[in-house]
Amino acid sequence: MNATSLTAGGFPEEGVRARARRGAAEVFPPAGAYGTGLFGAGHGSGPATAATAAATVPDELDALRLVPPVFMPRRLEKLIELGREPGHGDVDLRTGVGGFASELPLYLSAFGSTRAGSGDLAVAAARQAGRLGIPMVVGENMVPVHGYRSVLLARVEAYTEAAAEGVGGVVVQQSTEDADSEVWNLLYSDPASRALRDSGRLGFELKIGQGAKPGLGGMTVVGAAEAERLAAACRFTLGEELGADGGRLRCATPGTFTEEIVRQQLRFMRNNFPLARTWVKFHPGRDIGAATGTAWAAGADAVTVDGAEGGTGWAPRVFLDGVGLPLAACLGLIDRPEGASLLASGRMWEGGRAVRALALGATAVGLGRAALLAVDEDPEHGLERLTEALALELRLLISALGQYRPSALSRADLWPPAAAADAGSTAVPVGPRR
Amino acid sequence: MEHAHTPTPPPLGEHLRSPRLRSAMLVQQEALYATREFLRGEGFIELLPPLVGPVTDPGGRGAKALDVDYYGQPYKLMTSAILYKQASLSGFPKLFYIAPNVRVEPPETAGTGRHLVEFHQIDVEMAGASRQDVQEIAAGLLARVVEHVWTAVPDVLRELGRSESEFDELRAGKFETCTHEEAVARLAALGHAQSPDAEIDWEAERILSLDAGCPFFVNDYPKGSRGFYDREDPARPGVLRNFDLIAHGGYGELVSGSEREADYATIVTRMRESGENPAKYAWYLELAREGLSPSAGFGMGLQRLVRFLTGLDALWQVSAYPKLPGVIAP
Repeated sequence: MNATSLTAGGFPEEGVRARARRGAAEVFPPAGAYGTGLFGAGHGSGPATAATAAATVPDELDALRLVPPVFMPRRLEKLIELGREPGHGDVDLRTGVGGFASELPLYLSAFGSTRAGSGDLAVAAARQAGRLGIPMVVGENMVPVHGYRSVLLARVEAYTEAAAEGVGGVVVQQSTEDADSEVWNLLYSDPASRALRDSGRLGFELKIGQGAKPGLGGMTVVGAAEAERLAAACRFTLGEELGADGGRLRCATPGTFTEEIVRQQLRFMRNNFPLARTWVKFHPGRDIGAATGTAWAAGADAVTVDGAEGGTGWAPRVFLDGVGLPLAACLGLIDRPEGASLLASGRMWEGGRAVRALALGATAVGLGRAALLAVDEDPEHGLERLTEALALELRLLISALGQYRPSALSRADLWPPAAAADAGSTAVPVGPRR
Repeated sequence: MEHAHTPTPPPLGEHLRSPRLRSAMLVQQEALYATREFLRGEGFIELLPPLVGPVTDPGGRGAKALDVDYYGQPYKLMTSAILYKQASLSGFPKLFYIAPNVRVEPPETAGTGRHLVEFHQIDVEMAGASRQDVQEIAAGLLARVVEHVWTAVPDVLRELGRSESEFDELRAGKFETCTHEEAVARLAALGHAQSPDAEIDWEAERILSLDAGCPFFVNDYPKGSRGFYDREDPARPGVLRNFDLIAHGGYGELVSGSEREADYATIVTRMRESGENPAKYAWYLELAREGLSPSAGFGMGLQRLVRFLTGLDALWQVSAYPKLPGVIAP
C-alpha cells in the first residue's frame, strides 16, 4: 500500500511486509485454502521455495537407507518352511494393530472436523478402509460440530457395511469438547455400532495431540452462521484473527495432561468401556518416551505418535515447520515393550517410508493426507489402489531385507544404524533402545 | 430367586394389575416409611433433589445422561444428585433425598436384572463424616428397613417366597468388610478374572454376592473406577476412601458411597483425570472455590433394595413403570 524502496537483504522482508498488510491473519495459511488445502511440514513460515522443496526433499526418516544384508537366516527358515525359494509374494503383511486383526500394517488416520476431513471424502475413505480390512480412526470434534447423527455415524456405517468379518476395527477419538458431548458413551451403547463393539472391533482413542500442531487443540475456519451457533453452545473459543474476509477461527482446547491424568483417563476408559479397545494419540513431544511408557503401563492397546511432519486441515504456519519432534526422533525415544502396539503417522504414502518407520519400532503406519488425496482422485477405489501399490512395495522391501513379516524388521535394517547416531557421527536422531 | 417370571415386562396395563407388583409396592412403601423414620431419627433432613441441571454425575460403564433443551442451553436429566448433595451441606449438614435418576444404560444391561433406565435412590450425605460413619448409617438403615418390613408386611414377603431366616444375620447386625484388592483375589480364587484397576464387573459382583451369607462392604476401589468426587486416600495414592455395600444371596450391590473430595484444586485435577471438562461444572466449582464441606455419603438403590427384600428376580418387577435399558417403553 505505502511500499517504499526500502529493502532488507538477508532478512525475511516479504514475511514482514505480508504481516504488515494482513496482521494476525498472516499467522495462518490463506483462508481461501481452507477446506481444499491439506497442510503439514513444508507449509510453514519459511521462504516459498522451501515449501515447494519440502515435498521432495527427504526428512530425517526418509534419509535413512534400507540396507539388506547378504546373509539371511530368516530366508533360509522360510525356504525350509516352503520347500522352495521364497519370493516377495511370501511376505505376510497381516498383523495385529492395537488389538484388531489387520490385513496390512496400516490404518486410516484420524481426520478431524475440518471441512477437508469431515465430508464425503471421509465417508469414501471409510468404505475403502473397511474393504481393505485395516483399522480406521475417526477424529475429534465431529459430534460437537456436526452432531452425532452426522458424518461420524455415516463413516462408521460405511466402514461396517464394507468390512469383512474378523478384520479391521473403528476407533473414535474423544477430546475435551467431545467429552462434553459424551461421544464415547453415545457410541458404546448405539445399536449402529453394536456389531463392531460385540465383535471386538470398536475402539476409543484418547486424543492428546497431533503432529501438525503440537500443544494446540483442533482448529477450523467457520463462517458467521456456524460461529454464532458454536458460540451459543459455548463449545469453542472463536477468534477474529483471520481478518474481515477470512471467516472466524474456531479453537478447541488442547486439554491438560500430566502423567497421572493420562494414567487415570486410560483406566477410566477401560473401566467404562470394557469391550472397546483403548488407544492414545500423542503429538511429537519432547517427553514422548515417558508419555508412551505411561500409556502402555496403564493398559493402552495402542499408542499412536504423530510426527511433526503430520498433516492437518488447518494450523498456524509457525507450527508446521518449527514445532515438535520429527517422527524419526520420536521413534528413537520410544521404548516399545514386547507385544505392545506402536502406531506412527506423518507423511506416510509409500512403502519405503513405512518400512523405515516399522524398522524403527512402529507396528503399523497411518495414512492421513495420502488417503484423502487418494479418495479425492477416485472416491470409489483410489485408496484401495494407493494401498495396493504401497503393499507391493512393503512386500518387495521386507523380502529384500530377508524378512517375511513386518514385525521382524529392526534397526539393523537401517543405515546409519542406531549406534552411529549415539557416536555423533550422523545427524540422524535415532536414540538408544532397549 | 426361584420365581417363575417373564424375562421382560408385559404391557404396562397388565404389569400394573399384577398381584406381584402390588406386593412389591406394599414392600416399597414400608421400606420408604422405615427409611424416612430412621434417617430423620438420626438427625437427617429430607430435601427434594433437582431434576435437571447444566451438569450431572458423569456416569460410568457406558451409561449416559439425557440432554434436555433448557431455554436454549444443553441441560442434563440427573443421573445422580451427588453434586447437589455436596452443595447443600453448607445449609443442611445432614441431608437425604429420595432421588429419581435417569441413566441411559447400555442395552446389554437389560438382562442383568439389576438395571433400569429410570430408578430412585436413597441419597444420604453427612458433613464432617468419615467412611466409617456413613457405613454405620448405611448398615443401620438397611437393618431398620429389614426389621420394619418383616414387622409390617410379613405375609406379603412370605407369599413372595421370602423366608425370615434369610435375614437373620443381617438383623443381628452382621456386616462384613473386605477391600477391593481382597475381593479381586477372592474372585481369582473362584476362577473369575477381575481387573484390579476397574469397577467389579456384573458377573463378579453376582459371584461374590452368591458366595456371601450376610451383606458386606467392599472398600478402597482404585482411582479410575469411580467419579472425581470420591476422595483419594492421602496416605495411599490411587486408592479411594469409598465403598460399596453388596447384599448376600446374589442380589448384588445395594449401595455406593464414599468420603468426598472437597478441595477445589483436587476436584479440578480429578475431573481431568476422569476425562471431564471442568468448564462444564462451573457452578459447582464456584461453590468449591468458596469452600465445600468435607463430607461422606452414599446412595442406596431403592429398587435394588426392594428386589432384595422381596426376592424377585429383576428390577422391572419392583418398578411400577419399568424402563429396561435399550427397550422402548411408556
